[in-house]
Amino acid sequence: MIKAIDLTKRFGKHLAVNKINFEIAKGEVIGFLGPNGAGKSTTMNMITGYIAPSDGQILIDGDDILDDPEKTRRKIGYLPEQPPLYMDMTVKEYLLFVGRLKLVEKHQIKQDMDKICDLVKIGDVQKRLIRNLSKGYKQRVGLAQSLLGNPQLLILDEPTVGLDPKQIIEIRNLIKSLSKDHTIVLSSHILPEISAVCDRVLIISKGNIVASDTPENLAQNLVGMHQLHMRIKGDEQKVRTALEEIQTVKEIVINPSREENALNVVIEAGQNEDIREEVFYALSRNKCPILQMRPMDMSLEEIFLNLTTVEGGQN
Amino acid sequence: MLAVFLKELRTYFTTPIGYIFMGVFLLISGILFTTSNIFAMNSDYSSFLGSLVFIFLLVIPLLTMKILSEERKQKTDQLLLTVPIATGKIITGKFLAAMALYLITMSVTFLYPLFLSFHGKLDAAQIIGSYIGFFLLGASFISIGIFVSSLSDSQASAAILTFCVLIITWIIDFLGGFMPQSIASAVIFTLIIVIGGAAWMYSTTKNTPAAALVILAGMILIGLLYLINKELFFNLIAKTFSWFSLTKRFSDFPMGILKLDAIVYYVSFCGFFLFLTTQRLEKQRWS
Repeated sequence: MIKAIDLTKRFGKHLAVNKINFEIAKGEVIGFLGPNGAGKSTTMNMITGYIAPSDGQILIDGDDILDDPEKTRRKIGYLPEQPPLYMDMTVKEYLLFVGRLKLVEKHQIKQDMDKICDLVKIGDVQKRLIRNLSKGYKQRVGLAQSLLGNPQLLILDEPTVGLDPKQIIEIRNLIKSLSKDHTIVLSSHILPEISAVCDRVLIISKGNIVASDTPENLAQNLVGMHQLHMRIKGDEQKVRTALEEIQTVKEIVINPSREENALNVVIEAGQNEDIREEVFYALSRNKCPILQMRPMDMSLEEIFLNLTTVEGGQN
Repeated sequence: MLAVFLKELRTYFTTPIGYIFMGVFLLISGILFTTSNIFAMNSDYSSFLGSLVFIFLLVIPLLTMKILSEERKQKTDQLLLTVPIATGKIITGKFLAAMALYLITMSVTFLYPLFLSFHGKLDAAQIIGSYIGFFLLGASFISIGIFVSSLSDSQASAAILTFCVLIITWIIDFLGGFMPQSIASAVIFTLIIVIGGAAWMYSTTKNTPAAALVILAGMILIGLLYLINKELFFNLIAKTFSWFSLTKRFSDFPMGILKLDAIVYYVSFCGFFLFLTTQRLEKQRWS
């Protein structure tokens, strides 16, 4: 469906996207993952034809997006990072306007609008001015806008940014239900968000693709260290000796806790080692009760560090 | 195109802009009409219409200041530039909406000659001529305004810049009279234009041979023209300046004269600026 060939974008001297290649098949749900300023939005803007690449090209079903924009753009629904809303229009007026812009047949617009409003749950705010809507509703109106014209391909730039947890789950479920009959490209800088909905993840860093895999594989390969954060009641020396009994433990960091008589402890074990049970028995033998224990997933920053220092070096 | 047209026209009335434009224009023109025609008991309507040109200079920037700058600021241009409609059509839709509001406002002033016609005899040809002139002049002003609005994402700077450009087109004819008339100065003037063109060529393409080619072609052209007809260069600066004067060409219309070259000039001027705006937005994709 989408093919990017040596896609490059320079802004003056700054290289925003550096010769990236990828291919997205029909029906796939792809996540662009990367920190702010990695080139995610720039890449998405190039896919939709909003900006042109400095080098390379984007093919949508084999057609260059810039050669025949009127044909290819019909296939794309785009929700930019900031939803393109007109504040002084009502939701209904806005959607009618976008429908006309996207050349939806006159008799079709009303029907499509009702369907989409039901889907993104904005039926009750149709008559309100967009200016007065909450951030979550604005985001949904933006999403509704991208669905108009029934495009096969949806490009969603950080669709859940700035929403509350309940709204995030709703939008995620919506994306999941849309993925049945759409090809979706979405971006985020949050790993769990991507892994919740995507079939495949492209990690972008400093304008390069540093990894491309399923979320499960990425998590397995990338979470090299098994880290445990714990709160333990007891004496520091006692806790340390108890933990040192476990052979797979590589590093122990102990800090005083806010709670009285308790310590904050972080331990690290080797790759793919589950040491939770051993830790539990070791500490209970020494009569140091565990008040809290949570495994620490590797944060995005650490994944990036790993990718750019280890695997990135091989690329 | 129709969608953009209707939306823009609606926006003029859902935001204060449309009301301010109509209000300011009708207030000032009303005051002028009352003092110069009614109180002075003067039935010369076309001289009143002539003075309206100055009000246009003041209020047209209001009409066009946010037409594209606001799209960029609110990032709604991401919608407009990714829908399956050519950029030129979007610009045309916006232009027509501004024209429509302009014409609606102008049509209110049809009442004035109607009042006068009860009390005296009016020259219909002059009045119709003036209104045709206004239509063309307004279209040119609006096309300049739309272009300037595409240059920045701030409404205020777009309005001020449009105002400056309009004032310049108004006084440029007058300024031309102060320019040196000698043939030598005209040659230097054309050389400066050629060098300017080459500099622009270089800044956009970063290609030295292309810029050199522009200079070479320009020099040859100037040399040939100089050899063939020296007189062509006499008072060239003033002639060039007055060519850009929008208001000078207008002066025939209130006399009831419709000159084809003036009409063609205004229509192509307007078309040129709308084309330039489209190119400007398209170029933004590539920068």
